[in-house]
Amino acid sequence: MKNRKMRAIAMMTGVFAAAVMMAGFSGRALAAETEAKESGAAVTVTDMKGREITLEEPATRVVALSAADCEILYAVGAGDLLVGRGEYCDYPAEVWDVPSVQSGMGTNIEQIIALEPQVLLMSSMAQTTEQVTQLEEAGVHVVVSDAQDIEGVYTSVRMIGALLGKDAEAEAVVAEMQEKLAALAEAAPENEGKTIYFEVSPLEYGLWAAGNGTFMNEVAELLGLTNIFADVDGWAQVSEEEVIARNPDYIVTISMYFGEGPTPEEEIMGRAGWDVITAVQTQGILNLPNNELSRPVPRLADGAKMLEDFISGAAEEEEAEEKPAA
Amino acid sequence: MPVKEKGNENSIRKARRTYGLFVYLFFAGITLLTFLLCVSTGSVPVPAGETARMLLRAVLRQDQPQTAFTSIILSSRLPRVLCVALTGAALSVSGTAMQGLLKNPLADGSTLGVSSGASLGAAAAIAFDITLPSLPFAGTFVLAVVFAFLSLLITLAIAWKMDHSLSTNTIILVGVVYAMLVNSILSLVVTFASDKVKNITFWTMGSLAGAGYSGALVLSVSLAAGGIILFRFAGELNAFAIGEDNARNIGVDVRRVRWIILAAVSLMTGICVAVGGSIAFVGLAAPHIVRRITGPNHYRLLPAAAFGGAVFLMLCDLAARMILNPVQLPIGVVTSMVGSVLFIGIFYRGRKGQV
Amino acid sequence: MNQSAGNTFSNNSPMLEVRGLSVSYGEKQALKALDFSIQEGEWWILAGPNGSGKTTLVNAVTRGVPSTGTIRWRGKNLRNMNSREMAGHIGVLAQNRSVDVSFSVGEVVQMGCYAHSTGWFGKLFRNDRGNKESSRQGRSIPASCFSEERAVEDALKAVGLSEMADRSILELSGGELQRVFLAQVFAQDPELLILDEPANHLDLVYQKQIFELLAEWIRTPGRAILTVVHDLSLALAFGQKGILMSEGKAAASGDVREVLSRDHLQAVYGMDVHSWMRKMLGQWDE
Repeated sequence: MKNRKMRAIAMMTGVFAAAVMMAGFSGRALAAETEAKESGAAVTVTDMKGREITLEEPATRVVALSAADCEILYAVGAGDLLVGRGEYCDYPAEVWDVPSVQSGMGTNIEQIIALEPQVLLMSSMAQTTEQVTQLEEAGVHVVVSDAQDIEGVYTSVRMIGALLGKDAEAEAVVAEMQEKLAALAEAAPENEGKTIYFEVSPLEYGLWAAGNGTFMNEVAELLGLTNIFADVDGWAQVSEEEVIARNPDYIVTISMYFGEGPTPEEEIMGRAGWDVITAVQTQGILNLPNNELSRPVPRLADGAKMLEDFISGAAEEEEAEEKPAA
Repeated sequence: MPVKEKGNENSIRKARRTYGLFVYLFFAGITLLTFLLCVSTGSVPVPAGETARMLLRAVLRQDQPQTAFTSIILSSRLPRVLCVALTGAALSVSGTAMQGLLKNPLADGSTLGVSSGASLGAAAAIAFDITLPSLPFAGTFVLAVVFAFLSLLITLAIAWKMDHSLSTNTIILVGVVYAMLVNSILSLVVTFASDKVKNITFWTMGSLAGAGYSGALVLSVSLAAGGIILFRFAGELNAFAIGEDNARNIGVDVRRVRWIILAAVSLMTGICVAVGGSIAFVGLAAPHIVRRITGPNHYRLLPAAAFGGAVFLMLCDLAARMILNPVQLPIGVVTSMVGSVLFIGIFYRGRKGQV
Repeated sequence: MNQSAGNTFSNNSPMLEVRGLSVSYGEKQALKALDFSIQEGEWWILAGPNGSGKTTLVNAVTRGVPSTGTIRWRGKNLRNMNSREMAGHIGVLAQNRSVDVSFSVGEVVQMGCYAHSTGWFGKLFRNDRGNKESSRQGRSIPASCFSEERAVEDALKAVGLSEMADRSILELSGGELQRVFLAQVFAQDPELLILDEPANHLDLVYQKQIFELLAEWIRTPGRAILTVVHDLSLALAFGQKGILMSEGKAAASGDVREVLSRDHLQAVYGMDVHSWMRKMLGQWDE
């Protein structure tokens, strides 16, 4: 009985995480058409569930439940408008000073209403229709932001910018992101034929990999890399032997390091039998523990850059090693 | 299974005796075949001949070539299947003992709150970074066993306060309520340790994916210790299975024996949980299937349950690995599916008074 | 076991001596300062209305419930004995029970040998070579010579179930099942046999069977019986000594005919039991 309950919690958390993070099977996110009507300063946006929301003027009090929306808010320079945040919002550091509300399955409607926001930003998974109705009856505009791919990130940045009267800033953020990614894409031909494995959960708790439809996969494609689990949808539990057999050139782990014992990279290097994997032999293991590649935010471009830098650095080292031998 | 012979001498001798060597060899053979099947089958196809040569070289302690196949078989699959088999055996033997002791076909480690307690201990070790230097997963491991014992003490202390004869109904009731309490504490731990939530939630799903030879060693030591203790009390378990008063009447030191059996069970359960997380229903499903073949006599049931549990969990693990290949299912999903169907079945039959 | 002493004093020192035995369930005193002593060869009857403390007395003597007062077995404090040692002296047949596990008759009866088994290592290495024709007077049998096969076989034969050793107990009738447990306690080979309403809810034919089996059993020297009975005619027919219980106390104890006198029964049951029983028996006259 206990086991079943724990499993249920674990499963739901897993499914939730996977559904939030992965893109793909639900199709493209609806392109939100933002028409910031200058006249009368009224704002109308179509959110990423296709719902049309009209504000009489750009919002000045916002609650954001998802960590991604919080980040985007800060990225467009509207951090000071945030009056409440979901409990798992963690970036940038200033966000910790904002009052936290319960999010996810235990979303606390009363807490949110008490903060008197004009807009509540949230992702599509967590809340029930009843909760949304309650919020709207209390005068809170519920806006769904639900990026499933990099294109979706642009959409949600623009949408949030429009809601807050920060269209120009949002456009700048999108342009910067596009620019960075375009620069990275130029390196793609050099990485052709190289394979990569994204490890989401370490071996001790059962290996989970990022497969097709995840941001990681999209970034890998952009960089010209082949995700070894591109045949798997979303985040999925995979077997150790499959990793060994598919023999990735690079490994990215998103495990956090808590300051004790081996680091995530060392832990992977030390796994029994993994010494036959190229990435382990060439130390091609990168730890990105701060959601650089797993959260639909502008930082994705930075994460992609970190990965490309790491890979080109590793490639140079390899060349340097090969030369004296030759 | 052995055909019933005629004649009183034989049948009486059979009453106490365990299986003969031949039957044990038969069990061992089935277990070994399942083991080989599970080692040679996996998401990455490895030629059977290759596998056989590798295993042979491993047995003969010859040098192995460094290939992906050797890594897959010897470093990943072999220790995992070994751990799965040992966990299955330990959980099955534990469940068998609990069912005999409590005279309740639905009892297993979780009924007493033992595995809940072990989970809490292990989760606390993960959440609050309680580790022991120089030993892999020692923190979760030690805390799981300690909490399993602690849970036992608490459950029995409460049960004893309520009912000095420690009747089975009281124990089960207290155990279930205790498990609920522990679950809420576990949720509390998860809430407080939010940055490590992912680790805990993945861990509670039960995973033997990372299990290595050290895990197998710890499991086999606990299985040997617990199994020998329980088998030594097979006669007492038989008496308990008829009824507690029957056990007392024939001269069983009811309280002492119960303590020893519960301690052995919590040792095995705690270690299983520490190594592989909570794997539900193994202690329920495997003994139930085995009992259909062996009958209720613990001299035969306990050893058969060990083999049966090993085979059962190895097959569940194989299914978990292969059904959605290359995606892996948590092993607990498969055991829960099989187990909950059996649970309803047993409960239904129990209601109709024909267990 | 101090059996030489047992033999020497067997005729004048009591087997079981109980002094000031009391049991409390919380506030309620279920047993109030009971005294009695049982000698070898005696058949004691425990009678009294429902709730008068008969079963509590049985449980207190067999340590099933905590009690105060002294209980001595041949001069030795019974509370200091371990369970196995006590079971070697005192056997208990509880009220007939429901069973739900499919043990065979042989398996159940064999469990009665627990008190005499030599433990695990003994079992491993002994291999039942002790098939000696041992004197069934018994407690004298050293554990290593005690043959479980023989004990089980004799017990099954005694209750007439020799042919059923392989049958599952789930297939038996209530009377057969009670005989299986009687065989179990016979195999245990105690000196004092305590039975709690052994024929309760059984057909008359089984009632007759069981009491005749007990009468046969107690003929062997060095044995005694304490039986809780509801049926006072059975008490008179088989008992020699008796205790009449009333509200946790002994309303009378001693010779069974004395104990079940018209006055005592009138006081305890609040009716003229003798007239009633005679009237009932009168119905059978031709």
